[in-house]
Amino acid sequence: MKILVADDSRVMRQIVIRTLRQAGYDDHDIVEAEDGRDAYDKVQAESPDLVLSDWNMPNMSGLECLQALRSAGSGVPFGFVTSEGSPEMREKAAGAGALFLIAKPFTEETFRDALDGVIA
Amino acid sequence: MTLAPGATERRAGAGPRPLIPALIDAATVEAIAGEAWIALVGEDELLVPVPGELPADTLSAWVDVVGPWTGSVVLTTGRQTAADLTRALLGRTAPELLDHEDVADAYGEIANVVGGNVKAALPGPSQLSLPAVGVAPAVRNPDDVCRVEVLWRGQPLVVSVQGALPPLPHPLSPHENPHPNGASL
Repeated sequence: MKILVADDSRVMRQIVIRTLRQAGYDDHDIVEAEDGRDAYDKVQAESPDLVLSDWNMPNMSGLECLQALRSAGSGVPFGFVTSEGSPEMREKAAGAGALFLIAKPFTEETFRDALDGVIA
Repeated sequence: MTLAPGATERRAGAGPRPLIPALIDAATVEAIAGEAWIALVGEDELLVPVPGELPADTLSAWVDVVGPWTGSVVLTTGRQTAADLTRALLGRTAPELLDHEDVADAYGEIANVVGGNVKAALPGPSQLSLPAVGVAPAVRNPDDVCRVEVLWRGQPLVVSVQGALPPLPHPLSPHENPHPNGASL
């Protein structure tokens, strides 16, 4: 399985990848993207099985990336990993077609709760 | 309470524009920061609620919140402590010699997580800016500040949730906004 991790913070991408491994999802290919535009391009080029994306990023936000992907016909499973976990943001995420929203700070248990059933 | 000129036109509801002490207390800000530290920096990395004197050479990281309450969530600590935080976040992947971009990225991300959670505790809808790192924005109204002083590994760190009157400019759209992490260090 291939997982695309999109975050404009390199440190946060590392923490997300580390947490994925700690949560037991350690045998998957990881692709990194540094903003929403890069994530959009890499979904087209790399065909990941899942996208884990930050929300607030330069060039293209995570929400704009998800909307652009759906407009282009991509149904790639998509979840947010973001510092903004308010009910309003969760509603926007779900409305755009996101499967889940993991709020930062997170733990490996948070990842397991969100990803069980999504990652084989 | 002092309102900035034009505040009446800007406010969304019937009441006066709220000041931060009416919206969030220091215990909540401290709890948010403490959770961020444990999750991002490490399980044993506690913030001790004891004030300390900041050194002369400090570095701040912050995000702006624009909404019914408008202001900044600012972390300030010594420059060396900011570097230590960066190493703690990077863990085994930390380079031998940190560059400014590493510190801006890691320290800014901590501010982003703390700021995002403070925003979630405030009345919305609000928008959150991308993080910036450098010299902290000035306190504009001492009555519109929630300030928490803690120690991390014995070093002082301040979390300041501080209002902006007059309001800060609306965050630029992502298309217009270059990543500000390279701000002056």
